[in-house]
Amino acid sequence: MSEEIVFDCLHAEIVNYCLDNNKQKHDLGILEYIGFTTGYRLIERLTREVPRFKDELETMKFICTDFWTLIYKKQVDNLRTNNNGMYVVQDKAFRFLTRISPGTQQLEHAPKFVAFTCGLVRGALSNLGINSTVTAEVQSIPACKFHIEVNRN
Amino acid sequence: MTIFNMYIFDKFGTLMYYVEWNRTKKSGITREEEAKLTYGMLFSIKSFVSKISPHDPREGFLYYKTNRYALHYLETPSGLKFVLNTDTAAINVKELLQQLYAKIWVEYVVRDPLWTPGTPVTSELFQNKLDEFVKQSPIFGIRNI
Repeated sequence: MSEEIVFDCLHAEIVNYCLDNNKQKHDLGILEYIGFTTGYRLIERLTREVPRFKDELETMKFICTDFWTLIYKKQVDNLRTNNNGMYVVQDKAFRFLTRISPGTQQLEHAPKFVAFTCGLVRGALSNLGINSTVTAEVQSIPACKFHIEVNRN
Repeated sequence: MTIFNMYIFDKFGTLMYYVEWNRTKKSGITREEEAKLTYGMLFSIKSFVSKISPHDPREGFLYYKTNRYALHYLETPSGLKFVLNTDTAAINVKELLQQLYAKIWVEYVVRDPLWTPGTPVTSELFQNKLDEFVKQSPIFGIRNI
Protein backbone atom coordinates (compact mmCIF):
# COMPACT_ATOMS: atom_id res chain seq x y z
CA MET A 1 0.00 0.00 0.00
CA SER A 2 2.61 2.51 1.08
CA GLU A 3 4.86 2.10 -1.93
CA GLU A 4 1.89 2.48 -4.26
CA ILE A 5 1.08 5.94 -3.05
CA VAL A 6 4.63 7.09 -3.76
CA PHE A 7 4.35 6.10 -7.41
CA ASP A 8 0.86 7.58 -7.70
CA CYS A 9 1.92 10.91 -6.24
CA LEU A 10 5.13 11.02 -8.28
CA HIS A 11 3.17 10.29 -11.43
CA ALA A 12 0.67 13.06 -10.64
CA GLU A 13 3.53 15.52 -10.07
CA ILE A 14 5.29 14.50 -13.27
CA VAL A 15 2.06 15.16 -15.14
CA ASN A 16 1.75 18.62 -13.57
CA TYR A 17 5.40 19.40 -14.16
CA CYS A 18 5.40 18.39 -17.81
CA LEU A 19 2.24 20.25 -18.64
CA ASP A 20 3.17 23.39 -16.70
CA ASN A 21 6.53 23.72 -18.39
CA ASN A 22 4.93 23.40 -21.75
CA LYS A 23 3.49 26.56 -23.12
CA GLN A 24 1.21 24.58 -25.41
CA LYS A 25 -1.19 23.15 -22.90
CA HIS A 26 -2.09 19.98 -24.70
CA ASP A 27 1.31 18.66 -25.58
CA LEU A 28 1.49 15.21 -24.07
CA GLY A 29 4.59 14.28 -26.06
CA ILE A 30 7.06 14.71 -23.21
CA LEU A 31 4.97 12.57 -20.89
CA GLU A 32 4.71 9.91 -23.55
CA TYR A 33 8.47 10.00 -24.06
CA ILE A 34 9.15 9.65 -20.33
CA GLY A 35 6.86 6.63 -20.42
CA PHE A 36 8.65 5.23 -23.45
CA THR A 37 12.12 5.36 -21.92
CA THR A 38 10.81 4.01 -18.62
CA GLY A 39 9.09 1.10 -20.36
CA TYR A 40 12.15 0.41 -22.48
CA ARG A 41 14.39 0.07 -19.43
CA LEU A 42 11.81 -1.64 -17.28
CA ILE A 43 11.17 -4.54 -19.63
CA GLU A 44 14.82 -5.51 -19.41
CA ARG A 45 14.43 -6.01 -15.69
CA LEU A 46 11.04 -7.72 -15.87
CA THR A 47 11.87 -10.29 -18.50
CA ARG A 48 15.22 -11.47 -17.18
CA GLU A 49 13.73 -14.79 -16.04
CA VAL A 50 11.09 -15.12 -18.72
CA PRO A 51 11.66 -17.46 -21.69
CA ARG A 52 11.55 -16.00 -25.19
CA PHE A 53 8.12 -15.24 -26.59
CA LYS A 54 6.75 -17.44 -29.32
CA ASP A 55 4.91 -14.75 -31.24
CA GLU A 56 3.41 -11.29 -31.07
CA LEU A 57 0.24 -12.42 -29.29
CA GLU A 58 2.24 -14.03 -26.53
CA THR A 59 4.14 -10.78 -26.05
CA MET A 60 0.87 -8.91 -25.78
CA LYS A 61 -0.39 -11.40 -23.23
CA PHE A 62 2.73 -10.83 -21.18
CA ILE A 63 2.05 -7.08 -21.24
CA CYS A 64 -1.54 -7.62 -20.15
CA THR A 65 -0.77 -9.99 -17.29
CA ASP A 66 2.71 -9.82 -15.76
CA PHE A 67 3.66 -6.33 -16.87
CA TRP A 68 0.32 -4.83 -15.85
CA THR A 69 0.26 -6.65 -12.52
CA LEU A 70 3.71 -5.37 -11.62
CA ILE A 71 2.92 -1.76 -12.39
CA TYR A 72 -0.80 -1.43 -11.77
CA LYS A 73 -1.33 -4.27 -9.25
CA LYS A 74 -4.01 -5.86 -11.41
CA GLN A 75 -4.42 -7.55 -14.76
CA VAL A 76 -6.18 -5.90 -17.65
CA ASP A 77 -9.85 -6.80 -17.95
CA ASN A 78 -9.94 -7.52 -21.63
CA LEU A 79 -7.58 -8.03 -24.56
CA ARG A 80 -8.90 -8.06 -28.09
CA THR A 81 -7.21 -8.30 -31.44
CA ASN A 82 -8.14 -8.40 -35.12
CA ASN A 83 -5.17 -10.75 -35.74
CA ASN A 84 -3.72 -8.15 -38.02
CA GLY A 85 -1.60 -6.05 -35.70
CA MET A 86 -4.40 -4.22 -33.92
CA TYR A 87 -4.84 -4.83 -30.21
CA VAL A 88 -7.27 -3.29 -27.77
CA VAL A 89 -6.41 -3.52 -24.10
CA GLN A 90 -9.20 -2.63 -21.73
CA ASP A 91 -8.77 -1.77 -18.06
CA LYS A 92 -12.05 -1.09 -16.30
CA ALA A 93 -10.44 0.54 -13.28
CA PHE A 94 -7.25 2.14 -14.52
CA ARG A 95 -5.04 2.98 -11.56
CA PHE A 96 -4.31 6.60 -12.39
CA LEU A 97 -7.99 7.32 -12.88
CA THR A 98 -9.48 5.55 -9.87
CA ARG A 99 -9.08 8.57 -7.57
CA ILE A 100 -10.66 11.00 -9.99
CA SER A 101 -14.36 11.79 -9.84
CA PRO A 102 -16.30 9.82 -12.45
CA GLY A 103 -18.28 12.90 -13.48
CA THR A 104 -18.07 14.20 -17.04
CA GLN A 105 -16.50 17.52 -16.05
CA GLN A 106 -13.28 15.71 -15.09
CA LEU A 107 -13.17 13.81 -18.37
CA GLU A 108 -11.12 16.54 -20.07
CA HIS A 109 -8.32 15.92 -17.57
CA ALA A 110 -8.18 12.19 -18.33
CA PRO A 111 -5.71 12.30 -21.28
CA LYS A 112 -3.01 13.73 -18.99
CA PHE A 113 -3.08 10.63 -16.85
CA VAL A 114 -2.95 8.04 -19.59
CA ALA A 115 -0.18 9.54 -21.78
CA PHE A 116 2.62 8.15 -19.61
CA THR A 117 1.16 4.65 -19.81
CA CYS A 118 0.84 4.84 -23.60
CA GLY A 119 4.56 5.52 -23.72
CA LEU A 120 5.26 2.83 -21.16
CA VAL A 121 3.56 0.17 -23.28
CA ARG A 122 5.18 1.45 -26.47
CA GLY A 123 8.63 1.40 -24.84
CA ALA A 124 8.14 -2.09 -23.47
CA LEU A 125 7.03 -3.45 -26.82
CA SER A 126 9.81 -1.62 -28.60
CA ASN A 127 12.45 -3.37 -26.52
CA LEU A 128 10.72 -6.67 -27.25
CA GLY A 129 11.12 -6.00 -30.95
CA ILE A 130 7.67 -4.68 -31.78
CA ASN A 131 7.36 -1.19 -33.19
CA SER A 132 3.96 0.18 -32.42
CA THR A 133 1.72 3.18 -31.98
CA VAL A 134 -0.18 3.28 -28.72
CA THR A 135 -3.17 5.53 -28.15
CA ALA A 136 -5.64 5.64 -25.30
CA GLU A 137 -9.32 6.33 -25.07
CA VAL A 138 -11.26 7.25 -21.94
CA GLN A 139 -15.02 7.27 -22.29
CA SER A 140 -15.94 7.09 -18.65
CA ILE A 141 -13.61 7.38 -15.66
CA PRO A 142 -12.03 5.11 -14.41
CA ALA A 143 -12.25 2.78 -17.43
CA CYS A 144 -9.62 3.14 -20.14
CA LYS A 145 -8.90 1.48 -23.47
CA PHE A 146 -5.45 1.33 -25.01
CA HIS A 147 -5.21 0.82 -28.75
CA ILE A 148 -1.97 -0.77 -29.86
CA GLU A 149 -1.23 -0.69 -33.55
CA VAL A 150 1.79 -2.67 -34.66
CA ASN A 151 3.77 -0.92 -37.35
CA ARG A 152 4.97 -3.40 -39.94
CA ASN A 153 7.61 -2.35 -42.38
CA MET B 1 -27.94 6.69 17.41
CA THR B 2 -27.38 9.14 14.67
CA ILE B 3 -24.89 11.46 13.04
CA PHE B 4 -25.79 15.08 12.43
CA ASN B 5 -23.06 16.82 10.51
CA MET B 6 -19.34 17.05 9.90
CA TYR B 7 -16.70 19.70 9.35
CA ILE B 8 -13.19 19.15 8.06
CA PHE B 9 -10.69 21.96 8.64
CA ASP B 10 -7.07 22.14 7.65
CA LYS B 11 -4.31 23.42 9.93
CA PHE B 12 -4.91 27.03 8.88
CA GLY B 13 -8.60 26.88 9.73
CA THR B 14 -9.83 26.68 6.14
CA LEU B 15 -13.07 24.76 5.85
CA MET B 16 -12.13 21.93 3.53
CA TYR B 17 -15.45 20.18 3.56
CA TYR B 18 -18.83 20.37 5.21
CA VAL B 19 -21.64 17.85 5.06
CA GLU B 20 -24.81 17.31 7.02
CA TRP B 21 -27.17 14.36 7.39
CA ASN B 22 -29.76 14.59 10.13
CA ARG B 23 -29.53 18.22 11.14
CA THR B 24 -32.85 19.68 12.17
CA LYS B 25 -31.82 23.07 13.53
CA LYS B 26 -29.91 25.52 11.37
CA SER B 27 -27.62 28.12 12.87
CA GLY B 28 -29.19 30.99 10.93
CA ILE B 29 -25.82 32.32 9.78
CA THR B 30 -23.92 31.64 6.57
CA ARG B 31 -21.83 28.52 6.10
CA GLU B 32 -18.61 30.57 6.23
CA GLU B 33 -19.61 32.37 9.42
CA GLU B 34 -20.60 29.12 11.05
CA ALA B 35 -17.31 27.48 10.07
CA LYS B 36 -15.34 30.40 11.50
CA LEU B 37 -17.31 30.25 14.73
CA THR B 38 -16.78 26.50 15.02
CA TYR B 39 -13.08 26.73 14.28
CA GLY B 40 -12.63 29.57 16.74
CA MET B 41 -14.32 27.60 19.46
CA LEU B 42 -12.26 24.48 18.75
CA PHE B 43 -9.09 26.52 18.76
CA SER B 44 -9.99 27.98 22.16
CA ILE B 45 -11.01 24.63 23.63
CA LYS B 46 -7.76 23.09 22.47
CA SER B 47 -5.62 25.70 24.19
CA PHE B 48 -7.90 25.74 27.23
CA VAL B 49 -7.68 21.98 27.63
CA SER B 50 -3.91 21.89 27.35
CA LYS B 51 -3.43 24.77 29.79
CA ILE B 52 -5.92 23.67 32.43
CA SER B 53 -4.98 19.99 32.44
CA PRO B 54 -3.62 18.84 35.82
CA HIS B 55 -1.61 16.10 34.08
CA ASP B 56 0.53 16.18 31.05
CA PRO B 57 -2.17 15.88 28.37
CA ARG B 58 -1.63 13.03 25.94
CA GLU B 59 -4.17 13.57 23.23
CA GLY B 60 -5.76 16.79 24.39
CA PHE B 61 -9.32 17.63 23.46
CA LEU B 62 -11.37 14.61 22.32
CA TYR B 63 -15.06 15.49 22.56
CA TYR B 64 -17.70 17.42 24.48
CA LYS B 65 -21.31 16.61 25.20
CA THR B 66 -24.44 18.65 25.76
CA ASN B 67 -27.81 17.19 26.67
CA ARG B 68 -28.74 16.81 22.99
CA TYR B 69 -25.56 16.18 21.04
CA ALA B 70 -21.89 15.31 21.27
CA LEU B 71 -19.10 16.95 19.30
CA HIS B 72 -16.22 14.63 18.47
CA TYR B 73 -12.87 15.98 17.47
CA LEU B 74 -9.94 14.29 15.76
CA GLU B 75 -6.78 16.16 14.91
CA THR B 76 -4.14 14.48 12.78
CA PRO B 77 -0.40 15.13 13.14
CA SER B 78 -0.65 17.20 9.95
CA GLY B 79 -3.16 19.51 11.63
CA LEU B 80 -6.27 18.34 9.80
CA LYS B 81 -9.31 18.55 12.04
CA PHE B 82 -12.27 16.23 11.71
CA VAL B 83 -15.32 17.38 13.65
CA LEU B 84 -18.34 15.12 13.88
CA ASN B 85 -21.59 15.88 15.66
CA THR B 86 -23.55 12.87 16.84
CA ASP B 87 -26.25 12.22 19.39
CA THR B 88 -25.14 11.55 22.96
CA ALA B 89 -25.46 7.76 22.74
CA ALA B 90 -22.88 7.29 19.98
CA ILE B 91 -19.91 5.11 20.88
CA ASN B 92 -16.57 4.43 19.20
CA VAL B 93 -16.72 7.67 17.28
CA LYS B 94 -12.99 8.14 17.66
CA GLU B 95 -12.36 4.92 15.71
CA LEU B 96 -14.87 6.00 13.10
CA LEU B 97 -13.08 9.31 12.58
CA GLN B 98 -9.72 7.58 12.43
CA GLN B 99 -11.03 5.20 9.77
CA LEU B 100 -12.65 8.02 7.88
CA TYR B 101 -9.34 9.83 7.77
CA ALA B 102 -7.32 6.79 6.70
CA LYS B 103 -9.77 5.18 4.30
CA ILE B 104 -11.67 8.06 2.80
CA TRP B 105 -9.66 11.25 3.14
CA VAL B 106 -6.24 9.80 2.33
CA GLU B 107 -7.58 7.57 -0.43
CA TYR B 108 -9.88 9.93 -2.25
CA VAL B 109 -8.56 13.40 -1.50
CA VAL B 110 -4.84 13.07 -0.92
CA ARG B 111 -4.51 10.64 -3.82
CA ASP B 112 -6.73 12.61 -6.17
CA PRO B 113 -4.26 14.17 -8.64
CA LEU B 114 -6.75 16.94 -9.44
CA TRP B 115 -6.95 18.19 -5.86
CA THR B 116 -4.66 21.04 -4.85
CA PRO B 117 -3.59 20.81 -1.20
CA GLY B 118 -5.03 23.62 0.88
CA THR B 119 -8.18 24.06 -1.19
CA PRO B 120 -11.72 22.95 -0.30
CA VAL B 121 -12.67 19.50 -1.56
CA THR B 122 -15.12 19.36 -4.44
CA SER B 123 -14.49 15.80 -5.65
CA GLU B 124 -17.75 13.95 -6.22
CA LEU B 125 -15.98 10.65 -5.69
CA PHE B 126 -14.95 11.74 -2.19
CA GLN B 127 -18.47 12.97 -1.41
CA ASN B 128 -20.01 9.67 -2.46
CA LYS B 129 -17.49 7.52 -0.64
CA LEU B 130 -17.81 9.59 2.53
CA ASP B 131 -21.59 9.44 2.44
CA GLU B 132 -21.51 5.69 1.88
CA PHE B 133 -18.97 5.21 4.68
CA VAL B 134 -20.92 7.24 7.23
CA LYS B 135 -24.29 5.75 6.31
CA GLN B 136 -23.10 2.19 6.74
CA SER B 137 -21.53 2.82 10.14
CA PRO B 138 -23.52 1.50 13.11
CA ILE B 139 -23.48 4.97 14.64
CA PHE B 140 -25.48 6.43 11.79
CA GLY B 141 -28.37 4.15 12.71
CA ILE B 142 -31.94 5.06 12.02
CA ARG B 143 -33.52 8.48 12.22
CA ASN B 144 -34.86 8.82 15.73
CA ILE B 145 -34.53 12.43 16.68
